[in-house]
Amino acid sequence: MKNIEVPALARVEGEGALYIRLKDGSIAEVELNIYEPPRFFEGFLEDRYFQEVPDITARICGICPVAYQMSSVQALEAALGVQISKQARDLRRLLYCAEYIESHALHIYMLQGPDLLGHESALSLAEVAPDVVKGALRLKKAGNDLLKAIGGRSVHPVNTCVGGFYRWPDVKAIKDLLPALEWALQASIETVKFASGLKYPDFEMDYEFVALTRPDEYAIYDGEILSSKGNRITVDEFENEYIETHVRHSNALHSHTIASETTYFVGPLARLNLNYEQLRPIARKAADESGLRLPLRNPFKNLLARAIELVEVCDVAIEIIENYAPKGPSFAPISIKEGQGSGASEAPRGLLYHRYIVDDRGMIRFAKITPPTAQNFAQMEADLWKYAPSVLDLSHEEATLACEHLVRSYDPCISCATHFLKLTVDRA
Amino acid sequence: MKIVILGIGQSLRSDDGAGLGAVHRWKETFPLTANNALLTASETELPGLELLNLLEGFDAAILVDAVQSTAKPGTIHKLREADILGFSETHQSAHGWGVAETLQLARRLNIDLPRNILLIGIEGENFSPGISLSQSICAALDEVAQVIEDSIKIFQDIPDQ
Repeated sequence: MKNIEVPALARVEGEGALYIRLKDGSIAEVELNIYEPPRFFEGFLEDRYFQEVPDITARICGICPVAYQMSSVQALEAALGVQISKQARDLRRLLYCAEYIESHALHIYMLQGPDLLGHESALSLAEVAPDVVKGALRLKKAGNDLLKAIGGRSVHPVNTCVGGFYRWPDVKAIKDLLPALEWALQASIETVKFASGLKYPDFEMDYEFVALTRPDEYAIYDGEILSSKGNRITVDEFENEYIETHVRHSNALHSHTIASETTYFVGPLARLNLNYEQLRPIARKAADESGLRLPLRNPFKNLLARAIELVEVCDVAIEIIENYAPKGPSFAPISIKEGQGSGASEAPRGLLYHRYIVDDRGMIRFAKITPPTAQNFAQMEADLWKYAPSVLDLSHEEATLACEHLVRSYDPCISCATHFLKLTVDRA
Repeated sequence: MKIVILGIGQSLRSDDGAGLGAVHRWKETFPLTANNALLTASETELPGLELLNLLEGFDAAILVDAVQSTAKPGTIHKLREADILGFSETHQSAHGWGVAETLQLARRLNIDLPRNILLIGIEGENFSPGISLSQSICAALDEVAQVIEDSIKIFQDIPDQ
């Protein structure tokens, strides 16, 4: 068996490579090499007015811009002591549902799905199962249309601001989307059946799962941070428990728990394992009927967790739309003062943490952004150490594909994850 | 004949923004055509699968985008749909859904696309981060605007079905 080398990972967002080096028939080195250049977002947020932040951070990702807006506005609202209205919170949840629908539909059918169905891409899948791919595009469109109705455009929506929204979206434009979402809910239930019928590689890890949690909701927009090891903390305590460090082979930081210096897992599997009890009846029924047994410890089954979440977010979206009747101002008044605040939400790929320091003129003095993919990189490498030996008997091509598939099951967003605290130049 | 003129490209990647620049130039040079109610001109940075929604409901589409082949920078390529499908994507973004693959997917799924699709490709030379177009591209913009205008006239002469 030769070394496994994937110089450009396909069907992931951003630029990265995978290297598994063998010595005397066993694994000597595993490297997820993130060569996409660092993007310095945290650096150029400094000296910007706080209200510019949600529109700048949205640009970090074209698939999950809403997540960056939601974590940043919550952090800044904490820094400035702003309370948003329930109406604004509901609308933010709706916006987040829209993002989950488009992002999860994309990943399930276009990115990871082809791996499980033995296809090279969604393009070749479209040849044999056109209705599946057509349905996926329609599902994705339902999400993008909802993003557009709230945020003005289907990618990188605007309208979210610190304090709420710049304006309430048009009631008719929102209500008109109900039929599409009713269809999406049914399509999502079918997606759970589709996902539970797939044959997943046999692989489990004893993960520490970390996700937001709330007693009253399947936490996506906000919550406290819960670990499957039992640790429960507020968002403000995140940096006391979890740390990002540099590794030589990557432009993305790698995360560990501070206490035990171990890897942890964020994303759909973590959310489902920790928050199954908070699923609403429709998603729970779909999950139970799929024969779901928790905890799920197989990373490939992130896809199944995404499918169950699709049902949940369609159901939530329908309820919020049915009750949508905005009244009064769309944003809370803000009095600018010096302060520091953190915020976290569950991006489709997992926990997304932001912290900002604002000065007395409302200018950003410090920004810290910890994206989910950066938190998962160390875990992905740990998985590969364990998984790769089990595929070494396969042909080189199959072994390579199997390892690539493992990485893809995390839906890594490499572009989001490339950031540096500071750049050091080695002039040896 | 409802026609969409779509400038495609990343404005922050130098010559990748050639398509956006060309559609701008065409609008400035031919305001009468650009204001025709049957024409829609829009711009998109990296549409991915969203391209399908942008093309929905039109009889003809003119896509203006930067391309990279072995031709001289600033060369204007006129590609019909069949030619585009042969182009492979080299950039790795938006989960890998480029113009060629997206059109191919739509055809495979029998999704309603404009009957006539023309891609006007502008050969770029510098795709590194930056907001300015190379000299060779700037020099070609007037000609590209003329090609867009001529192509619209050709499409407008096709009888409606």
